[in-house]
Amino acid sequence: MTFTIDYLALAPELVIVGTLLVVFTLDMVLTRPKKFWIATAAVAGTALAAIPLVILGVQGETRSMFDGSYVVDEFALVLKGLFIVAAYLVLLMSHHYIESERYYQGEYYFLLLASVLGSLVMASSRDLIILFIGLELTTAPLFLLTGWRKGDAKSNEASLKYFILGVLSTAILLYGMSFLYGLTGEITFSGLAEATAGRGDEPAMVMAILFVIVGFGFKIAAVPFHFWAPDTYEGAPTPITAYLSVNSKIAGFVALLLMLYIALPGVSEVWAPALWILAALSMTVGNLSALRQTNIVRLLAYSSVAQAGFMLVPFAAAAVVGADLEEAFAATVVYLAIYAVMNLGAFAVVIAGARKTRSGELSAWAGLAQVDSRLGVLVAVFFFSLAGIPPLAGWFAKFAMFRSVMIAGGTTTVVLAVIAAVNAVIALYYYAKVVKTVWVDDPTGEFVEDVEAAPAVSLRLALWVSLALTVAIGFFPALVTFVGDASRVIAVGG
Amino acid sequence: MTFSAWISEPINWIFLLVGLVVLASGFRVVTAKNVVHAALLLVAALAGTAGLFLMLAAEFVAWVLVLVYIGAVIVLFLFGIMITRAPTGQDEGLDSEKKVVPALLSVGVFVLMAWGSIDAFGTTLVGATGDPISTELIGESLLGRFVIPFEVVSFVLLAALIGSITLARKDLTPIEEEEGRRV
Amino acid sequence: MIVSAGYYMALAAALFVIGALGMLLRRNVLVMFMCIELMLNAVNLTLISAGRALNDLNGQVAVFFILVVAAAEVVVGLAIIVAIFRRRSTASIDELSELRG
Repeated sequence: MTFTIDYLALAPELVIVGTLLVVFTLDMVLTRPKKFWIATAAVAGTALAAIPLVILGVQGETRSMFDGSYVVDEFALVLKGLFIVAAYLVLLMSHHYIESERYYQGEYYFLLLASVLGSLVMASSRDLIILFIGLELTTAPLFLLTGWRKGDAKSNEASLKYFILGVLSTAILLYGMSFLYGLTGEITFSGLAEATAGRGDEPAMVMAILFVIVGFGFKIAAVPFHFWAPDTYEGAPTPITAYLSVNSKIAGFVALLLMLYIALPGVSEVWAPALWILAALSMTVGNLSALRQTNIVRLLAYSSVAQAGFMLVPFAAAAVVGADLEEAFAATVVYLAIYAVMNLGAFAVVIAGARKTRSGELSAWAGLAQVDSRLGVLVAVFFFSLAGIPPLAGWFAKFAMFRSVMIAGGTTTVVLAVIAAVNAVIALYYYAKVVKTVWVDDPTGEFVEDVEAAPAVSLRLALWVSLALTVAIGFFPALVTFVGDASRVIAVGG
Repeated sequence: MTFSAWISEPINWIFLLVGLVVLASGFRVVTAKNVVHAALLLVAALAGTAGLFLMLAAEFVAWVLVLVYIGAVIVLFLFGIMITRAPTGQDEGLDSEKKVVPALLSVGVFVLMAWGSIDAFGTTLVGATGDPISTELIGESLLGRFVIPFEVVSFVLLAALIGSITLARKDLTPIEEEEGRRV
Repeated sequence: MIVSAGYYMALAAALFVIGALGMLLRRNVLVMFMCIELMLNAVNLTLISAGRALNDLNGQVAVFFILVVAAAEVVVGLAIIVAIFRRRSTASIDELSELRG
């Protein structure tokens, strides 16, 4: 059998591959003072990859390759767009951070772009093998990047911890997948959807699905598989933490969405209750732990665990008989898009603020707004957005999530909605605490006040982009509803 | 099928023998006090698995397993043990204090998994249908139907290679760097 | 008479659980890596026996990819360990306790 390759459909991936090779070559050629060209090339290449995405989006036709195992449809395009925008922001954040300390720059960008390539491939994957390879390419470079601050024991251990749990979760996930294959003989999602329908009462099938969910639970850092996240986030270089909490988490969610809604919609009675538990635990444990944190990065780590819980809520709605799976699917995708923008903004603020405070401890941040009110405003915007306060983007994410639950109805889902509502209030407390510390409290120490401490141009650009998006989405939610609509098209067995 | 009928088949003897070798050496990998012994026992476990692959008529992956794992990965492990000067004689073996709960948990999980496997596949006989998959077919499909993962996996290897070298190398001091060596 | 696929899979399940047990009990990082290899090997055995029972090509292709990725990950893991050992010399995960809780 011969297959044809649709190069236009692969163009975004190919542009990233080209950028990878350019970055790699430049790194060998350039001497240290000229290394900024590497960052420039990486940023430019990532921006360039958006062009074929737009062309494909305008054409609007679904392109399918290799027996339907690699599909470029609206859902894939929207997610690729999200991955590229997030990667673009992380690259902007990285530039000055990586340059100001003695890091290996060329390899850093190479690995980061390799991870982006993996996530792009994964968004199009419609079979188990491509999904697995895409997920591995997304995470494997991150094990190394987490340990990039070689001189710091925290960074070393963070990468070791992340690596061991990452590989363990891969093994568990693969065991589940191998059973799914054994039971059905299928590896494409469409084949699996047909072959698994109505087989939720077979013990081997239940076991396979549980293994898959536990494997993904580690990847998205859902409670009780979250314990690696705070340590890894704290030890990694901050731009990598931003990448881990956004791109890598979204990648995990995309894999979960594809597996559950597209490959296994016929056995939703098995996976929906499991995700109900994960969602309730993640929200509650994540928020209660975040309350006690004194380090701003660890606080954001637990906050992202709790946010993952909110994103899992619509999955549980699928348990209701006759529920609108499309609505639930779209709600999670909308939440992912908004979360990406505001969480990246929060991390950009942390990077900018840490240049002045020289510390990640919250106490050192007290009174920061008194010396730099612009930074203070940014802290307020992103943290209140994470809390879900209108008119910032975060409110619409929570609104979409609650709406999907209410449409589904059913007692258990409403109970989950109540848990989510209580958690939204708890979350408000610690997000507001950060803003209060920055604005109201008196400074406890000296801030660094020189030219060096001012945010670099690239970091400022990252802050402006995420600020603009956060505010704009908050006022005009229509900007992201198309994201949900696009994913609606493919949800649930085509 | 009765046990006596099952055991009278020579092929089942081989299965039992190889299976026992795999399990025993796997168990010893976990319990061995000496890290070098653990690495060498891993060779036995992997070789046994390769043997099972051959029994299942999967010759291509069986030889890949032998070449890549026994030939390369184990050597890498031994180098790792050497470089890290890990204690080779006096390691404490099963050194976590709490042994009972994880052990019981594992046995429970195993019973569930084995029951699930036999429940679903206990009556499926291997090799009952058709000819074995030839290596030729695998090669064709790797560069046909599976060309995208095949190309993507090469980036996994490249990223692992470059990243690992960077992470594991000794950093140059600023003076060494000025002498013309680049970082 | 031929062994049924279920027995191969039960054997794989045992191997997987032994590996998982090692992950839980051992504190030596290198041995933990070996336990991961055992677990992935169990996955491979499951895939091969399923593929043989179904007489399907995809099981072997999946094993090929898993072997490649697992080999790459061993390299990554050892690089991380070497980076740690440049700073200190212990192979026990308990002594790495900068980050706790």
